Order: sequence, then C-alpha cells, then structure tokens
Amino acid sequence: MDRRSFTVIFAAVVLRLVLFTAFPSLPDLLTNRVELSTPVTSFKRLQEGLFLYTHGLSPYDGGVFHQAPLLLAFFTTLPSNPIVVYLVYILSDVLSAHSLIQIATSGVSVSTPYHTSPRKSSTWPPWAVAAAFLFNPFSIATCIARPTIVFTNTVILTAIAKGVQGQGVAAVLALAMASYLSLYPVLLLPPMVLLAYDSLPVVKKGRYLGSFAVMLTSVFTVAAAGLGALSWGITGGSWEFLASTYGVHLLLPDLTPNVGLWWYFFIEMFDSFREFFLCVFQLHLAVYLAGLCLRLRKQPLFVITTLLGISSIFKSYPSIGDTALYLSLLSLYRHIFPLMRYTFFVTSTLLYATLLGPAFYHLWIYAGSGNANFFYAITLVWSLAVTVLVSDAIFAVLRDEWETERPEMKGKEIVQI
Amino acid sequence: MSILTSLRSTRILKLLPLVSALCILVGVTWLLLLPLDDYSRRTYISENALLPGQVHTYFGGSEQDVFRAYRHEVTTLGKNASADGSGVMAEKIGDIFDAFGLKVGKQKFEYAAAGGVYAGENVYAVLQAPRGDATEALVLCAAWVNTEGELNESGVALVLALARYLKRWSLWSKDIIFLITSDSRAGPQAWVDAYHDLHAPPAVASLPVKSGAIQGVVVVDYPTSRGFESLHIVYDGINGQLPNLDLINTAVRIASGQMNIRTTLQEMWNHDNRYKDRLCTMLRGMVNQALGHASGPHSSFIPYHIDAITLQAYGDGWHDEVTLGRAVESLFRSLNNLLEHFHQSFFFYLLMAERRFVSIGTYLPSAMLIAVNFTIAAIGLWLKSGRLNDKVEGQSTDGKVSEEKRLLKSAGEAPSSTEQLDAVSEERPLLLSMAFVVAIHFLGFIPLYLFNNLNEKNSAGAFYIFTLLNVVLPPVLCAIFTKSFAPTSLHFTLIKCFSLLLLGMFLSALATLNFSLSFLIGVFASPITFISPTPRRKWTIGAAWMTLLQGLTPTTALVGVALYWGEPLSEILKEAAFGWRVWGMWTQVVVWCVWWPAWIIAGVLVAGSWAVEG
Repeated sequence: MDRRSFTVIFAAVVLRLVLFTAFPSLPDLLTNRVELSTPVTSFKRLQEGLFLYTHGLSPYDGGVFHQAPLLLAFFTTLPSNPIVVYLVYILSDVLSAHSLIQIATSGVSVSTPYHTSPRKSSTWPPWAVAAAFLFNPFSIATCIARPTIVFTNTVILTAIAKGVQGQGVAAVLALAMASYLSLYPVLLLPPMVLLAYDSLPVVKKGRYLGSFAVMLTSVFTVAAAGLGALSWGITGGSWEFLASTYGVHLLLPDLTPNVGLWWYFFIEMFDSFREFFLCVFQLHLAVYLAGLCLRLRKQPLFVITTLLGISSIFKSYPSIGDTALYLSLLSLYRHIFPLMRYTFFVTSTLLYATLLGPAFYHLWIYAGSGNANFFYAITLVWSLAVTVLVSDAIFAVLRDEWETERPEMKGKEIVQI
Repeated sequence: MSILTSLRSTRILKLLPLVSALCILVGVTWLLLLPLDDYSRRTYISENALLPGQVHTYFGGSEQDVFRAYRHEVTTLGKNASADGSGVMAEKIGDIFDAFGLKVGKQKFEYAAAGGVYAGENVYAVLQAPRGDATEALVLCAAWVNTEGELNESGVALVLALARYLKRWSLWSKDIIFLITSDSRAGPQAWVDAYHDLHAPPAVASLPVKSGAIQGVVVVDYPTSRGFESLHIVYDGINGQLPNLDLINTAVRIASGQMNIRTTLQEMWNHDNRYKDRLCTMLRGMVNQALGHASGPHSSFIPYHIDAITLQAYGDGWHDEVTLGRAVESLFRSLNNLLEHFHQSFFFYLLMAERRFVSIGTYLPSAMLIAVNFTIAAIGLWLKSGRLNDKVEGQSTDGKVSEEKRLLKSAGEAPSSTEQLDAVSEERPLLLSMAFVVAIHFLGFIPLYLFNNLNEKNSAGAFYIFTLLNVVLPPVLCAIFTKSFAPTSLHFTLIKCFSLLLLGMFLSALATLNFSLSFLIGVFASPITFISPTPRRKWTIGAAWMTLLQGLTPTTALVGVALYWGEPLSEILKEAAFGWRVWGMWTQVVVWCVWWPAWIIAGVLVAGSWAVEG
C-alpha cells in the first residue's frame, strides 16, 4: 500500500469515528432504517440474540434473531463498550478497503490471461478504488447502522482478493465463511474457482481445471460443514440455527419491508402459491450463474461483480449494504464507464430513490397519510435503477471484449437485431 | 438509443430552456386555476360513521350557570396563574376536576430555546368510557393562555363545564381526556410527547395517568366573556401536516348546519366565496403550511397522526358559550361514533372556502412541474456539457487528449458526429464540480446551526451581519474557486447541472411531504434555471442577474415573512429556534441546506461568468 491509500483509509476511519461519536443518536437512527437493516442482518436483532445467548437461552427462541451463531460467539468475547463495537465495524470496512486495494493492484479487472482491455490505461489507481468504497455514502451509512452484512462484505472482498492472488484454497475458505454468514455468496463459488484458476502462476497451470474445481469445491464443502459443526457446538448441540438462519433466507417468514422486491410480493401472495413462488424466486437468483460463467469466461471477476449486483436486487433480504458492495466492485471497472449508456439516468434515479424512499416510508409509517404502496413503488424504482446499471455494465464489458477482437469497430453504434 | 441521439441534436437542446419556462408557467397557472369551480370540489363527509349533526344536544339550561361560575373562578385566578410554572392554575383546576370524580394528572415541563426558558404545568383529567375498554380516547383541550397571549377564560370554563356535563352521559365508547395546558405553544407539545413516552424526562415530566390511542382532538379558544360572531377553524399542523379532512368537514357541518354559526378559515373573516377570496384563503393556507409552525395548540398533536383542530370564537355577535358548548358536544358525539382511526378522507388538501377544497391529485402537478423544470434543465446541461467537452477537446492541440479519443480519431472511418459523441460523452471533469456542489450544500449547516442556537438577544444582529455576508459571499467564493482550481466554463456548466439536479430532486421529494414549502421555494428559485453558466455575456446583464438574485435570497424571504406577520425580525427568529427545539420543525433544514446552497451556487455562476474566459 502506498501513502495515498494510507491517507484515504486514515481519512475514512476518522470520518467514521467522528460520525459515531459526534452524533450519538445517529447510529441508532440508522439502525432502525429498514433500508439498512434487514431481519437477517439487523444490529438490534443481534443484540436481542446476544441477550438471550448470554442468559443461557436459545438465541433463536422468539423468532427475532436470524443470524449466524458464530457472530454471537464473536460478540460475547467483546467488551460491552459501544466504542469497541464501533471500532470492530470500522476495522471491517478498513479490511474491505485493503482487499479492494489488493484487487485493484492485481489489475485483474483490465487484463486476464484471455483478455486485455484496450482501455487499460484509464482505470482508477488502487487508492481511488478504496476511496470510492470508503467514501460512498451508502457504505458509510451501512457502517454506522452496524448491520452484520458489513462482515459478509468484508469476507467476500477478502475471498476475491485471495482469488486474484491465486490462493484458491484461501479464497474458497473465505467464501465458505461468507456463505455461512449470509447464504447467498455460495452462488459465487463457480466464478471464484475460475478466478483462482486464471490467477495461478503459469508454472502451475498444468493442472487440469476440472480437478482444480473438484479440489476447491471439496475444500469449500468441508469448510462449510466445519463451520456448521462449530455452530452446533456453540448453540449447545442444537440444529435449531439452521432453520432460523438459512431457513429464513430461503422461506421468507419475516415480511419486514426492505429495499428488495420480495416482501410486498409475499404479503400479497395467497398461501397456496407461496411455495411455488418461493422456488421461482430462489431459482431466479441461481439462473444467471451458468450463463454468466460461460459468456464472460474471460473475466471471472466481472462475473462475481455482476452476480453480487444481481443478488443485491433479487435476494430475499437485500439492503443498501449489498448495493454498496456492488458499486465498490464496479469502481474497478472505471475503464468501461465511457461505454456505458445510462450512467446519468442511473445516478439520478438512484439519488431520487434515496430521497423519496425515506420520505414515502415516513408518510406510510409515521404520518399515516400514505400506505405500503408508496414505499414499494420506490423500492421498485431503486431496483430498476440497479438493474439498468447491472445490464449496462454487462453491455459495456461485452462491447469492450468485442472491440478487442475487432478494433475497427471502435466507436461504431451497435444495433441489436 | 434513438431518443438519446435525437436529444443530443442542437435543436432540442435549444428548446429545453423553453420547456423549463413552460413548466414553471404551467405550474403557476395550474395553482391559480384551482379556486375555480371546475377544478375544486365541494367537501363531503367520507366516513359514514360520523353522522355529523344527527344527535340532539342537551348542553344548556342550568349548565350555563355552572359555566359562569367556572368562568368567574378562571378570571379570578388570572392570566399569570400558569406563568413561570408556579402551579397555581394546575392546583386549582385539578381540584375542580377531582370534584367531578375524574382521575386527575399534572405535568410540569420546562424547555430552553434561543436563550429563553419556557416552563409551565399542564393539568388534565380522564373520563373513563362507560362503554369502552380504554383503548381509545378523545381529547378536549383548552390552553390557559391562547396564541395571542390572552387569558382563555371562556374556553377553559367551557372545558370544565363540559367535563362535568359529559360525565353524566353513559354513551361514551371512548375515554375523554380534558386537558388544560398552561400555554399554547410548549404545553401541548410537552403533554403529547409525554403521552407517547417520547419526552426528555428531567425537563418534561412523565404523565401519571394515561388512556388509549387518541382518535381526535378539539381545542377550544374563546378568550372573551362576550358573545361571538363566527367560529374560526384552525387546522395547520407542524411541518405542514394536516388533519384528516373529515374532521374539519364534521366541524363545519355541525357549526353551520346544526348550530347556525358561520365558520371561517385562515383568518378570512369576510369570505364571499368568489375567486379572489378563495385564492386568498388557499394562499394563506399554503404560507402557513410552508412555514410549518404551530398555528394553535392542536398543531402539536398532528405529527403523532392524531387529527386535531382548534375552534376559535371570533368577533362580537349573538352566539354564546352554550352554542359553542353544544357544537363541541355534537362534535364529540360524532367522534364517539368512529369505528376506526380517521382514514377515509384526505390528508393532503388545500381548503379555499369552508366547503370547497382540492385534493392532492389535482394540486400536486403544479409543484411537481416546478421541480421537474430544474431536472429538465439539469438533463439539458448534462447533454450540453458532453457537446461542450467535445468542442474543448477538439480545440486543444496539446497532449491532453486522452488515449481514448486519439484512438477514436485514428480510427479514420469518419464516424458521424453523433457516434463520436456517444463514445466520448462520459469523459467529463466530474470530480471538481461535484465536490464544489457538495461542499456548498454542507456549508448550509453553518447558518442552520447558528440560527437554531443563538440567544434571542443576538439573533437579529447576527441575522443582519449574515445578510450582508450573504451579498458578498458568492463573488468571494467564486474568486477563491477560480483562483485555486482554474475551472473552465465546462466546470461551471457541470456545477449548474448538479446543483439543479439536486434542487429538482429535493423539491420533488419535499412536494410529497410539504407541498406548499416545495412550491414556494420552487417559485423563488425558478430564475436559477435561466442563468447561463457560460461567459459570453456583457457585464451589465451579469449585474442585472446579480441584483435579481439578491432580491430572491432566503434572507429576503425571512424579512418578507416578518412583514407578512407584522412582527419584528427577532420574534420570527425566536419562533424558528423555538420551533426547532420544541416542535421538531424542519423548515429551517430545507431553507438552509436546500434552498440557500442552490442560491449561493447561482450567485457563484453569475459571478463566475465575469471571471472566466471560455
């Protein structure tokens, strides 16, 4: 890390400390925002779980706490000083930034063994990528609100950082941890294997991809099973946590509003169709995996980025923190921004949704003069904006690849037939 | 794609200012059309359960003597009985309530704002519903001292007489709380905060007795012992929130239909129900809504989603306390019928006569059109900046042309201009412009903090100094900015683009919360759309622009408000600081963090057009 990166990280730490300490009511205010805290990540619910856990009760009794048991073990070892908790979350963000710097330094986003972008020179330096993450208002708000998605994001970024360094085993171990914390990162396993394989030094390339994949998948499975067993031990030899954590991700029993598309849909749903549509919604998330891995085989890091973007829209309990992770990874692809067509539209729409979301939530919940449709309409707009961004980024990357093959087509307009 | 391509053509870009102007024009005209019969509607009772004026009222007879006795007690105590938190009033009134056999509670409170201390003691009594389960309650309230600072002698006496009278009925299905607050501004707020456990305990005491969820509040304000001529219904809540229209309609219908009392709104004492008076009523309502202050003791209840109105006795006439008492009795019988919380009728409306209104669907487009005008201008500037950038890049022959464009030029296939634009339109110097706009918006926190925390003695002086500073701030900021960053006209175009984008965004979000504030700020800020950020202009025009801008500052608006109310400026500033501390009013945030930054940026653009050569 160079001096600039240090400055950026230092400034970000100071900013977060100032926000935590100078505005004592801000953390609790943000913790209560449904856009930032979901039933599966909320800090308030974590405290409820901790209370039950430290008093010798099952943390999953009462149906409020839906987070992984290891978080309980981790937080009980911490002193109960709020400053320590703040520092843990800030440290987590710093680690994320560190991983982003490593990823940006490796240059995998512009050149892989199969593809080198002609726009290679216009990427952002590593410190700028870190700054784009650390000073993104969404990341800051997420850090202050202290949902546990912060840890998932850190672990995912660590996994990617290990992946681009060719340390496949470390990468899937981190990914197993991320999946353990919030389930959906399990979808990143195939592109992560590809990423790790592509980043292997040439001398080791003799290895066959198939056996490499089998090896990493078994490491992943063993690691996940190990974490499961550990959790079994932590919760006093009960498998209850499986249904209360992953079961909640999969079956959506808690319909608290969030920025995603599920809650409203399943409020309206007749019970007889519920199972069917749960399957459809879950399958829909997995559907993109194979297609993206095949089509974007040359750039597995971009597959991971896109999958994170897609799951930040379509997963069962998405929050702003997921979008912040996607945006920070997208900042690695600065060189394709000129090829994107709707940046202004997307930025304005995201900003509009950011302002109107809390306004409509206020009208619905506090003023009582609006209703649930108001807020849902805005989450639709938000999801639309992120969807447009994801598809526009895919378009730009594909165009970038295409122009590598056919340099004479640079600057020509493309018409879809 | 084709839309974007055609949008980039010069002709449409030139048309965009016209579209913006049209938006403003249509928006304002729209609002002016609303009072016409074709665009507004007659009010109607939406909630069938209310059945206004369908019951016979029995208040009167010997109750009048009881009332007079209480009024005598109140007059003897005098206006100062509630001042300084002495508790004389609460003691005495509490004893009276106690004599009826009601559960009595008292609450001391003390607020500090703008260097002043506002203390007092509220007293209230709960009439438990003979037919209810204490899950719902109605509030009948009178402030000891009304908003004008007069002793509310007949109002308080009427609440006492009604408390005694209403207790005899066995038909109440909701608890009735009789509340006497020690003043009209801080007292109700302290009480309603404590009722919902959202008070700050040492300064504001908790309530010893509580009841169920409050369904409706009626405040009686009758400060004389003479007869009155008409009933003035006050309905504006804090931050421009309004009570459900059904409550107002019920009150109007009972007063004028059953009791034959004329009703008035928004201090329009002689309303002839023609265009001019309707417009005037509507505009007064909008100003009150935009300011977001408490217009009566009822205002503090509305943020808690409790529908509340104040009934003010106005003028000299032949109606007496018995008529008002019967009106209140009838109103409570209607509220008693409610099956669920007020929800049927409108929460967003503009009233233009006591029986004529427009709902949100009809009036919202006018504020939205004004907000949209900024967004359209911002989109136009964004597209224009792409073209401008292209021109600049084409002119510069030094090594600054990025690799991207060199490649593009060397492609040599003579790409048409639109395609070229497509490929390069993203390469704009965004960071500096964005940072500037964000920094100016954060600068707004300084006046916000200053005016909310200054002592009232210094606030007027500070305001005059700030006004002076405000005049010179844009040129100074511009000079600093141009000296340190050497911005081009492209930077200024982008600064204007982001500033307008933010303004449009804030105003359209605000229009859903407080229509009037959004509309008025939009109208005041509308000239900003037409300031040209490029410097090809004579200095005289620049000076004219600057003069116009100086006339449209938030500070001018504040002076305007002071003139409108006919009160000294220091009073307005005190009221604002009090509102921020006690009522949770956020009009200031909008003024200092949305409007003022937009204005400063406009000023910088005007000043910048003198300083920067293309």
